[in-house]
Order: sequence, then structure tokens, then C-alpha cells
Amino acid sequence: MNMHAPLVATDSLLTRTEVAGLVALAARTVPPLWPLESAIAVNPLAGFEHLPFAQAVKQAATLFGARTSLPVTGWRNLVERGRIDERALRDAAIGHLGGVYGAMINVAPGVMAIDLLMARLLEEERSKTEDVASCPVPDAAFIAKWCAAFFDQSISASPMPNRALGLYRAVLSLARYDGEYASLAGRQGQTLLLTVPRDPYEAIAEGLAECGEGREPLDHLSSLVARLPGWAGHIRWRTEHADRERVTSAPAGMADLLALWLLLERADALSEPAGHKQTTAAGHWLARHFALDPNRLDAAKTERFNAIASLDDGALGAIFMTAAERTLSNRLVPKLTGAARSAVRDERADAQVVFCIDVRSEPFRRQLEQLGHYETFGYAGFFGLPMALHPAGGGHRKRLLPVLLSPQHDITEAPVDGKTGEAHQIAAEESRAAKASDLFDAAKLGSGSAFATAEATGPLAGLAMLARTMAPRLADRNRNRREARRQQSLEPRLDCSVSNARGNGFSLSDKVGYASALFRLTGMKPDTARLVVLAGHGGSAVNNPYAAALDCGACGGHAGGSNARVLAAMLNDPDVREGMAEQGFAIPQDSWFLAAQHDTTTDAVTVFDRDRVPQSHRAELTTLEANLAKAGKANRARRATLLDRTPDDLLTGAAHWGEIRPEWGLAGNAAFLVGPRHWTSGIDLEGRAFLHSYDWQQDPNGEALTTILTAPMVVAQWINCQYLFSTIDNDRYGSGDKVTQNVLGGIGVVQGNGGDLKVGLPRQSLFTDDGTAFHVPQRLLTVVLAPLKRVQAVVEANDILARFFGKGWVQLVVIDPQTGKALRWREDCAEPDEGTIIHSITC
Amino acid sequence: MTNPTIGDLPLHRLRKIEIVIHAQDHQLVEDLLEASGIGGWTMIRDVAGMGHSGFHQGKTIFNDQTGLVMFVGVGQPKVIADLARGLARLFETRAGVTFLSDVEVMRSDYFARIEA
Repeated sequence: MNMHAPLVATDSLLTRTEVAGLVALAARTVPPLWPLESAIAVNPLAGFEHLPFAQAVKQAATLFGARTSLPVTGWRNLVERGRIDERALRDAAIGHLGGVYGAMINVAPGVMAIDLLMARLLEEERSKTEDVASCPVPDAAFIAKWCAAFFDQSISASPMPNRALGLYRAVLSLARYDGEYASLAGRQGQTLLLTVPRDPYEAIAEGLAECGEGREPLDHLSSLVARLPGWAGHIRWRTEHADRERVTSAPAGMADLLALWLLLERADALSEPAGHKQTTAAGHWLARHFALDPNRLDAAKTERFNAIASLDDGALGAIFMTAAERTLSNRLVPKLTGAARSAVRDERADAQVVFCIDVRSEPFRRQLEQLGHYETFGYAGFFGLPMALHPAGGGHRKRLLPVLLSPQHDITEAPVDGKTGEAHQIAAEESRAAKASDLFDAAKLGSGSAFATAEATGPLAGLAMLARTMAPRLADRNRNRREARRQQSLEPRLDCSVSNARGNGFSLSDKVGYASALFRLTGMKPDTARLVVLAGHGGSAVNNPYAAALDCGACGGHAGGSNARVLAAMLNDPDVREGMAEQGFAIPQDSWFLAAQHDTTTDAVTVFDRDRVPQSHRAELTTLEANLAKAGKANRARRATLLDRTPDDLLTGAAHWGEIRPEWGLAGNAAFLVGPRHWTSGIDLEGRAFLHSYDWQQDPNGEALTTILTAPMVVAQWINCQYLFSTIDNDRYGSGDKVTQNVLGGIGVVQGNGGDLKVGLPRQSLFTDDGTAFHVPQRLLTVVLAPLKRVQAVVEANDILARFFGKGWVQLVVIDPQTGKALRWREDCAEPDEGTIIHSITC
Repeated sequence: MTNPTIGDLPLHRLRKIEIVIHAQDHQLVEDLLEASGIGGWTMIRDVAGMGHSGFHQGKTIFNDQTGLVMFVGVGQPKVIADLARGLARLFETRAGVTFLSDVEVMRSDYFARIEA
């Protein structure tokens, strides 16, 4: 017979590679968790995106012991405050009941199904749900403790020994001395320490054979990964996204973590997984509220009554969320359809400013546009440059690009021409400061020097603390001055690339390609204004572990000024312009490109390399800078209202070391709009929309649209899901209260003094001080202004888009630019009401 | 069975594995290749082609996780067989294809197994 032996082993022990395959799959239960220095948003349920949204939320809730929705009282607060329209809620409830017929059907005389459901949604008595941080159980605390010791980034005074052996073997070598392990695992655990295989894959194979009876190995391993999603996410970041030199001295993969879990499981030391209890006993309340006796209802009515009475908080929450989504689309889509055929102003703009697509750019753009004939654009904040920057003072390279990409260009920060002396002085000062800090840390932690260091430096530290508390803006002035000096003396240099195995600088054809991409993707016409500003963005926060979360996600959790400077330099290069002209993008000779950075906390805009601006453009720059300052002031006043503070207080908050909410960040994000700015410029989007500029007429084959939807929109979806899930369960999917957080080893935060690394956002980034959700948890609504056929072709050709829109992770509305008609993409599980995958919108 | 030759040049019989998988799943395969002890492999990014669900486009400009990637590895028959076993586990839940074939190489030591 011409047949090979079966590929999957029939022995009871899995082979090493079979285990490796299972471990790799189980690792996908959690997303990577980036360290604090480059924190970026990820969807905590990224591993469930192959499932329909509702199913994914339920499965993940079971696995992570999380809630499936905001508590009903939280949703009611949003209805009371008008954030969710009550009519939209009623429509969503009708939809849940199967339409008007199902909703209007009588359950008892004079009581319709919709009455019962609305009463449950809005009136049912509820005790106030307090978020209580979950305490780590002993087994999780044991593994988390050793993870914290193993992954420490040279901050602890006594590094964990044997780290070169890998996480699993290093813990094995030390566990016998750990009293916590002894009490957890007992005598059996001590025996196992001597007998388990030293190879984590083989240990997992043995563990699965011993403990996995009756369970699918993949489900078994996935459930173990989900017990410490933060540390598991950190391991994914290390293995998949960290530069190799940062992790080789302490190697660890998901197999190490799983081998440790199975060690405890074999020692019978695993606790029961956490779970959330759902309250469903609403029958008595409903009967009392409507004065009806369920025992006297006929069978059909009893069934209807019970169906509504037994809806759990997750099901009720899903109705509220649908209502929140309808509230937005009912308000937004008619305005967008109305503006679909708005005319573009043809005359040359006073200046053009390209902002990041970030939701915080939109209100600023609107303020600026009102101050003159300024044309603004939205483009991914890394400006299309897949680059990493090596800072002048040394240290790790910064990956200034979305995590969807790998750096193709390594460039260095180098002195600006004519400022070499000052740049070297800055580099030397930074190097000295870093060494002094290291020395201080060593002295502070040394057993013989700790007290003496505290005695010697205590008064100075006290004075500094006093200054930061009483006069934070004054204390911050020095830092700002240093930063300004740095920006004037050092720049990312295109002609100073790092020649190593990683990559290289930019060739002329690279430069032409990246410069042209700005026009191809945004639909910006090559007859540019005399001044074109590329504005990256970053936040300002002091003593804030989440400072990077306020920076640009498209720049890998860093400020975007460097990328803006690089692209501006390319666009001013005569050779690049010549190459662009050959591709049909002939930039006027009198156009000058400038880089800037929008500080989203203070709304100040810093313009870089001002001294290179030609004399002929100086007056226009002065006017533009004055208007940027005015726009910033107006936007700050708008944001201050949302934060319930004064505009001036926001400036203090940006410098204060005790500030817990320097800005709202991307809270409120809800929409992703793809189209030209004149389409949206007349609409107040309230800082809730990502705006990517796009002109369908310049994109006949849909390439630009494909890029926009498969990259910037994917990043927006991650952000949206991070905010959504961090809000509905801030303990499991978020990072809890900032007040009780501790920063751990420079890699993440924990609640209290240990346990799992927290994923997601802190409570203060999502909720007001009285506990009301500032962020309305809802899925992203993407609206594209383009012909339906083109959008359909793009979605169908890209698996990721078909999955997002088909499985309900993102809602897609397409507005036809010629008819103004809006169409909604139908989810895979929805009824095919019109027989096509797109149907007329019913707002 | 004697080893083949080209003129005076001796050749060595080994096995080759080719794996085509969605780019977003490339790490799964890399983990497996590392665990198998194979001496090395080639990864060809941005692969396009026709499959059961239609034509697979190449990767998009700003997302390395779109499109398909192809891995090619050569090793001793046992290493490749182990690898294929692991892949069989992956393909229970992930889309992808694998081709196994006999090859002849000039330097057998170049493809020696790396012990874990």
C-alpha cells in the first residue's frame, strides 16, 4: 500500500513538536502585553476574534472569570446622562424580542413583552455593584512571584539566580527553598521537583498525560494560560516583539509558564478558576412590579415571561450596548449622508496640516479650521515610515511604528548641522544623569548603604517633592527647557543610518515611495499650500506609568515628532521631489514642509526646525503658529469642561506628579471615518472619531482603501476594544484603581504588592470620580465614503476585514458618494433580509 | 541504498518541508520549527496564490500580518516527521498547507539537528 504512517502519534505521551504546536496555539488565548515604556492598546480578546463578537465575549468571560458587560446600574447612568438615547434602547429591546410583533405580544392583560423588558432594563431594583480587585489565589501568586523575579529588568538589588536556564528550569532550581511552594505542593511537589523533565515541552507532555484525562489538550493549556493573562502576555511580547538582545540573558517562552502550571497541577495545588456570578432571579420582581401572577399565565405566556425574567446581566448589557451603538449611528450617519456630496473648496489653502488619525486630533483640527483657510488631513501618526530610532544617548532603539510592522529602517539621532557642540554636551549630560541614577539606585538598594543614602539625599528629595507638589509648573520648567534644547540640537538624521544586520537607512527610492504614500493614501493633491505641517502627537504626564498610553499608538507608544521630522525632511529634498514628480506628484517649488508635535495634554503645538524655514515663509509661519496657539487654547477649554476642571488646571496637571488623570486620552472613541475632510468638517464629532483622509476618486483599484482598512483601522479596533473591555470589567480586562497600583520592574503594573501584571487601562482613564463610565463601551463604527462595489471588493479580498465586519467586531457603513445612500454591512449571523451581504441602513 | 552523486560530487538524501500559512500565524510555525531542532529554515514573506477560499492577495502596505508566508526547511527524516506531527496539531485549528518531499543536498552537516 502506498500510504504513510499517521502523522499524529498514537502514544499516550505527545511528542515535543506536538506539544510545541499546542503551546503555540494556547499562547493565542492572550494578546501580547507591551512594557510600560512603549505601552500600546491591544484587544484583550484578540485570541477570540475568529468567533462572533457575542460568543467571544461569553467564552472569554468564562475563561478569564470576567464580566460580559458593564453592570446594569452603570448602563442606566449612561441613559440618565443622555449618552444613550432611551428611544434607541427601546429599539434595541424590540430587536432583542424579535421585532415589533414579538415586542408587542401580550404576556398578561395590558402587559406586553417590551414592557417587561424595559422594566428590567431601567427599573428593576439593583444593588450598587462595587468593583473589588480580585486577590491572587496562592498558586497564581506563587507563579506570579517567580515571574516578577525572573523578568526583572535589572532593577532589583539581588537578581534571581540561574536566569540563563530559562524561566521553568530557574524556578525548578529554587522552588525547593521556597516555603510557599512547600505549603502549596506538599511532599508530592518536592518529589516532582526531582523527577519532572527539565525540558519544558517534555514536562508539559508528562503533565498532560497525567492530568489531562478527558480534556482536550489545547483547552487544558489555554485555561492555564488564562490564569495569569498579564504574565502570559508579557511572555508573548518578549518572544514575538522584543529585540532579541533584550531577552537572551533570561530566555522564557510560553512553554516555561505552562510547565510551571502543570507542575502545580500534578502536585494537586491548583485552585478553582475564578468566575463571575450572574444574577438572573428577576421573576419575583417582575411579577410584583406588574402585579401579575405567573402561575395563572398560559404555557406560551409563561415561556415568554420566563425568557425575559431569566435574561442575565450579560444579555441585558448587550441590549444597552446595541442601544449605545444605535445612539451614535442615528446621530452621526444622517449627518454624514447629508454631507456626502459637499463641495471641496478649490482655492489654495493658507496652510495644510496633516494630523494623526487619533480621536484627539479631530477637535483640534476643527478649532484650527475656524481660524483661517486651513486644510487639515488625517494620516497614520507614524507617517508611513517603518523605522526605529537609536537615541543619541544610547539605550534601546525606539520602534516608531505600529506593531503590525517590523522596522525596515534603523536611523540615529544625530546633531543638527552647526549644533554639534551643544548636541555632544546634551549627550554627555544625559549619560552622566543616567550613571548618577544608576549609582543612586545601587546605593539605595545596597544593604550597607541604604540608610546612609536615605540620610544623605532625604532632605534634597524632600525639597524636590515639595517643589513638585507646591509649584509643579515651575519645577517642570527645567525639564521643558531641556527638552526644547534637545529638539533644537538633535534630530533623526536620514543620512546617518545604523549599519547593522537589522536594516539600513532610506534609499532615494524609499524616500520617494514614503513621500508619495502620503498623497496616495490621504488623497491630498500635489498642489500643496506654501506651508505644509506634519503634526505628530504625544502626551505630557509626570510620574505616570501610563504616560506612553497617551502617546501615539501608531508610533508604538511613542510621541510622533521624530517621524514627522523625517518625512518633512524627505518632502523638502529636491531629489525626492524630482522622483515624486516622475510619479505624478509634482509639488510646487514654493511649498515648504514642516514637522510639529501636538501635545494632547496641554494642546501646545511645537514646531520643529523653524530656523530652516525660508525667509519668504516666515511671516506665514508666524501667523500659523499664532493660530495653532489659539486653536490649542480653545481646545483646552473644551477638554477642561469634560474633565470638570479649569483650562489652566490642565497645564498644572500635565506637570504634577500626583496627577491621576492628565487627560481623557482616547476615552469615548467610537467611530472611524474614511473620506475627505470636507465631508466631516461641518460636523462636531466630539473627539470620538478617528479620521483618515481618503479620496475614492484617486484610488481606482482600491489599494489605498485596502491599506487604510487593514492597518490604521486595525489599530483603531485594538484601541476601541481595549477601552470597551477595560470599561466593562476593569478588574480583569483593565488595570484597576491607579491608587493601589505598583510599578513592577519597569515592565508593568500590579495591584498591591504582587500578582498578575495588569492588562488594559486604569479605572481613572475610563470612569469619572463618582464611578460613572466616561467611556461608553461600544464597538467601532467604521464609515467609508466610497462606491459600494469598491468597498465590497476590498473587504472580500482581505480575510481580516471579512472577519471584523462579518463577526461583528466592527460595524461597517458605506456611504455612496454619488447617491448619498448609506448601506450597512450585514454580520454573518444576521438574517439575510435583502439577500445580499449589504443592506439599506435603518437608523 | 547508496548516496547519489553529480559526477564526483557526493550528495546526501534528506527531507524537505514546505509550509504555507497566514502571515498572522507565522509565529506558531516558528515556535514549532525551533522546538523541532531543525538546523534552520527560510521564510518567504508576502506569498500570494489560489486556495479553496479564492485568491490570496499579498500583504498590504502597513500590515505585515496580512497575506501568506511560506517556510522551507530541510533536515533528517526524523526531524521533518516530528515537525509534521506538530503541524498536524496546528492545522486542526489553523488554515495552511504542508508539502513533504525528498531532496538531495551537498552539505549534510549544514542541516544537522540542533539539540534542545
